[in-house]
Amino acid sequence: MPYAVSHGFSPRMRIAFGPALPVGTAGEREQFDLWLTKYVPAKDAVTMLAAATPEGLGPREAGFVGGKEPSLTAGTSLAEYDLVCEEVGPEPLGEALGTLVRAGGLVVEHKGKKKVFDLTRCLPKEPRVSVAEDGATHVALTIRIGPEGSLRPEMLVTEALAAAGFPGAPKTVTRTDIVQED
Amino acid sequence: MAEGWERIEPLLLGVERPARYIDREWNAAHRDVVDVRVALAYPDTYEIGQANQAIAILYERFGGLEGVAAERVFVPWKDMAAALRHDGIALPTLESGTAVRECDVVGITLPYELTYTNVLELLDLAGIPLRASDRGEGDPLVIAGGPCAFNPEPVAAFFDAVFLGEAEYAAREIVELVRSVRADGLTRREALVALAGVPGVYVPSLYVAGEDGKLTAIEGAPKIVLKRIVGDLDSAPGIACPVVPYMDVVHDRATVEVLRGCTRGCRFCHAGMVYRPVRERSADTVVAAAVEALRCTGHDEVSLTSLSTTDHSRIAEIVRRLVRRFEGTGVSVSLPSLRADAFGVEMASLVSRGKKSGLTFAPEAGTQRLRDVINKNVTEEALIETVTSAFQAGWRRVKLYFMVGLPTETDEDVVAIGALVGRVLDTARAVVPAKERGGVKVAVSVSTFVPKAHTPFQWEAQLTRAEISRRQGLLRAAMPKKGVDLSWHDPETSFLEGVLARGGRQLADVIETAWREGAVLDAWSEEFSPAPWQRAFTAESLDAESVATAGFDVDAPLPWDHISAGLDAGFLREERAKALAGEVSEDCSVGACSACGVCDGLSVEVRTAGERRGG
Repeated sequence: MPYAVSHGFSPRMRIAFGPALPVGTAGEREQFDLWLTKYVPAKDAVTMLAAATPEGLGPREAGFVGGKEPSLTAGTSLAEYDLVCEEVGPEPLGEALGTLVRAGGLVVEHKGKKKVFDLTRCLPKEPRVSVAEDGATHVALTIRIGPEGSLRPEMLVTEALAAAGFPGAPKTVTRTDIVQED
Repeated sequence: MAEGWERIEPLLLGVERPARYIDREWNAAHRDVVDVRVALAYPDTYEIGQANQAIAILYERFGGLEGVAAERVFVPWKDMAAALRHDGIALPTLESGTAVRECDVVGITLPYELTYTNVLELLDLAGIPLRASDRGEGDPLVIAGGPCAFNPEPVAAFFDAVFLGEAEYAAREIVELVRSVRADGLTRREALVALAGVPGVYVPSLYVAGEDGKLTAIEGAPKIVLKRIVGDLDSAPGIACPVVPYMDVVHDRATVEVLRGCTRGCRFCHAGMVYRPVRERSADTVVAAAVEALRCTGHDEVSLTSLSTTDHSRIAEIVRRLVRRFEGTGVSVSLPSLRADAFGVEMASLVSRGKKSGLTFAPEAGTQRLRDVINKNVTEEALIETVTSAFQAGWRRVKLYFMVGLPTETDEDVVAIGALVGRVLDTARAVVPAKERGGVKVAVSVSTFVPKAHTPFQWEAQLTRAEISRRQGLLRAAMPKKGVDLSWHDPETSFLEGVLARGGRQLADVIETAWREGAVLDAWSEEFSPAPWQRAFTAESLDAESVATAGFDVDAPLPWDHISAGLDAGFLREERAKALAGEVSEDCSVGACSACGVCDGLSVEVRTAGERRGG
């Protein structure tokens, strides 16, 4: 690719990724911005980049971004997550999640540090719990991501699972979409 | 995907740095039709081992052979090791998830003595019997290689074979041997005898120790095993398309090996002695390899590696061509080590492109007398001139490497390090503008001399731990009080390195006991503890102090006499005598031949791409 390079003491390829995925979370609509020095049709860019990326990590779509658009990590974004939980039905899990959300604050301990999340701010929408065809329970969460850090979806659901009497963690966590908040 | 991955995947969320275990990196090679599977293991974690060039070379050499799968193995961190043991999962290879014990060959490089217990950890996790004598017909052939293979006796009991030297062309021979052993239905013992016939291969079970400890070859094994060497490095393939890791590894860039061997003749230097003679790659080969490696990986930095890159006869041309080529691309060139002279500074300026972090030099000793003893051809005048040029050119930080415990060292020599550092600091401050003087930093790193096999100092004793500490104390007191960051190697680590580097077969029981007592990942300073080793020395009734700190009589047999790096014994004795007399020797790639024996013994010659600079 005719990639652009930054100026200054330490020239680097001009590429910028959106908010990072936490370890263990899959992503279906992650984004990065790539600055080019020459015009490359978006469709060709996808083909070229996918051919040079390991399977499963290549880009699937591309589009031009106007020069004045804010960066992918500027401001806050809304991230959609799908979590799969086994061995627990939607009702007890949904009830436990509802109770947690109404409580307002969630204390999370991670690597020895305690952090308090204001759930009314972190969760612009109510969690949605459903059952898939294969019988697995799915939790859909919309979480606000910002520069001050964001709530990891599996922590909320793990807390809810424990409260519902099913200690354990979700089987899988996938970020299905991420959009910048206006 | 093989069973291994299916059992590993559920464990990933419960361990640190799961990227260590997931494979599928860019340029990781997966083979469908395989009749010989070779596991290539580095005895440390992924982030240390994945950067290793020997593994990368062998990965491509074995992997390029028809029907052969070369697959990587690294030591799992403690959390994953515990999980594997808990769930009864045999350690798998990365690429196919095949259990390591089901591979035909397991090659383990030995980069450093403190990784020996990691070798046992790896074998144990794989479910392979630790002792070669306990392995059966179904077990893989476990072969060692790398720098420590030149004194293999401490770990000989754990290996079926040890490969000495450069394995680029031996890879094919080993694979063909595996196939013929299978086709002919040979027993394991017969296979080992056949393996001993491959040049460069030492099979420990075919060498029996007599009452005096001397090893005698049996069943037609060679009396002395001579290292293997690649005579024409320029024609030998380098690392074309290395694996690009998903996580930070210790050297995260493309590398091109520009030359092998170093004949400056520093008398303490094991690598300089065992990798002779000097063989350079041509400028065209290096430039093409760098460009191809970058194209193949997407790295933004390429490092030109060797024991002393700025000694390459064409390095200025190579660096200029690459810097010009990469102008405006965001790609940089790096040189791992520099000569302490104006040329070194010139090269450093060329690659730094305005960003000047720090320069590193290795005077090693504080007085000219001691530098002459070790044949380190650096004068104080040259060092001061170099520092002057560097700081005038805009550098503000310099790192200096020294050693304590060198043969003939006195307290005056140790104190002189402090004085030398002081003069370097004064010089640096004198040439920078007044307002920048506060930013001038000299970092000093002091290691402890460990006498190594196949060097002119192989007969010398290491200092006792108490004496090392005393000299380090002297050094601390002699350092300038400000502007210097001083770091030194832990005496316990150096002591253990000395024991493991100089011992013989009697150490196998100690190493195994130490591992059972919990010694693992010892090369990580936060993991290392001398306690399990102490317990092992006691349990095995070994006086470790005497192994490290007793010298060898110059005429007495050495634990590595049956292993040859091609050096003439007379040469090493003569270099030792010159050292004690404070006389220097020339670099044969520039000056006269020093009759070290390598060129005649191995039918090779010094090969340079052009004329080397003297001095």
